[in-house]
Amino acid sequence: MMKILFERTGGFMGRKISLHLNLDDLPSDQAGTLKHLLDEVDFLNLEEDKSASLYARDAFHYLVRVETEKIRHSVHVTDLSMPAALRPLIEELSRLARTKNSQ
Amino acid sequence: MHAHCSILCITPPHILREIARNGTPAQQEVAQRTLLTSASLQAKRSSMGGRLAASLRAIVVGGKDRTVYDAKNGTSLPGVKVRGEGDPASLDPAVNEAYDGSGITYDLYLNAFGRNSIDNNGLKLNSTVHYQKGYDNAFWDGEQMVYGDGDEDLPVSERLFNRFTKSLDVIAHELTHGVTQYEANLNYFAQPGALNESMSDVFGSLVKQYQRAQIADAADWIIGEGLFTENVNGVGIRSMKAPGTAYDDPVLGKDPQPGHMRDYVNTIEDNGGVHINSGIPNHAFYVVARELGGFAWEKAGAIWYKALTDKLQSTSSFTDAANLTFQAATELYGSGSLEEQAVKTGWTEVGIDIGVPSENEGCFTSVMRAIGFIK
Ligand SMILES: [Zn+2]
Repeated sequence: MMKILFERTGGFMGRKISLHLNLDDLPSDQAGTLKHLLDEVDFLNLEEDKSASLYARDAFHYLVRVETEKIRHSVHVTDLSMPAALRPLIEELSRLARTKNSQ
Repeated sequence: MHAHCSILCITPPHILREIARNGTPAQQEVAQRTLLTSASLQAKRSSMGGRLAASLRAIVVGGKDRTVYDAKNGTSLPGVKVRGEGDPASLDPAVNEAYDGSGITYDLYLNAFGRNSIDNNGLKLNSTVHYQKGYDNAFWDGEQMVYGDGDEDLPVSERLFNRFTKSLDVIAHELTHGVTQYEANLNYFAQPGALNESMSDVFGSLVKQYQRAQIADAADWIIGEGLFTENVNGVGIRSMKAPGTAYDDPVLGKDPQPGHMRDYVNTIEDNGGVHINSGIPNHAFYVVARELGGFAWEKAGAIWYKALTDKLQSTSSFTDAANLTFQAATELYGSGSLEEQAVKTGWTEVGIDIGVPSENEGCFTSVMRAIGFIK
């Protein structure tokens, strides 16, 4: 079992979008892509809170939480504080959330 | 200076101003520069006071100096330089919008308030366009403006947002975050954060009105007009005239902004609702401008600018802002003036009384309030 919670808040509009995924319920190629992106960034070892950006205004805040039977790990970042390696995962989750939100 | 002397000696200022407003981009540049040069000479001849001295300072320490960069859908800032000050227009509309928008914003700050750029010392105006893919946002990063292309990566029928440079007030909004950073430096949480957001909306709207030469009654007071695609039922992101009415859409939901203190939203998200509760001071400003009539930047804008640059502090609350804008109006226009009365009316309409001392909350208290732990 692996679940992903994604939330994007803040931004110029201050609108929240979110996504709850259970990887077991996804088509295998989509689940595979997400697992690959999580592995690439070594997600479970990322620092939990990297959300401080002193002078950033209107930037997005992101929360990604990954949950398995054994472990639960959350990471908070902003557009400006996120490690480069995390960006492909955030972009993919944002795209899925924006697609879901526009249907 | 000598090379320009013949131009400025033979072209009357009112024609230059006309060109500066209506000419081609290249003509506008020359006319603006000539007007500035002309203003600086006049300043030298006279006592070199106030705004003319500021115009002169703009030339001496560097005036309008814009650079637009292209992130090419990546996230490295600032990206590749694509247009510098005085360069011809690009084939890319986003580049030209960022260039022209920061230019007109610079002009309003200089011409209405005597301010030379973000730091009042000629700071370069740097903008990056095409930030990331599918980035439906714009931000100020502490040093520059950054713009995404909206939902360009989704099928047309699913897109909600256009590119963020499309709306002039968004550009002026982001640039004003820089001005606020150098002035009141309002904290970005709860009420000081909502004031920070409101200042950006106020001057964002004023720049749009200035560009259109609109009086307060003729303006739409919409923030982010043109950002939504035709798939969205809405006129823009926020309404200063009627907060909470900018959009009502099956996908986006309804504009959540309050326009009165009784509807203040306590939340931990969005830095304590900075983009939500900004509707309250936004509406107060709108009422002041409506009461005073005419060009909103001339009086209401001058009062708000004085409060932002001389009076507000990083922890200021809405009540502080009410009292300090009232003080600014008194200092600019006199005790018992119509302007002072208009400021009072503006804040009263959103449920804030002038003259009530504010209990200035510490960070802990405002967080507790934001999450609904205390009332
Ligand atoms: Zn803002």
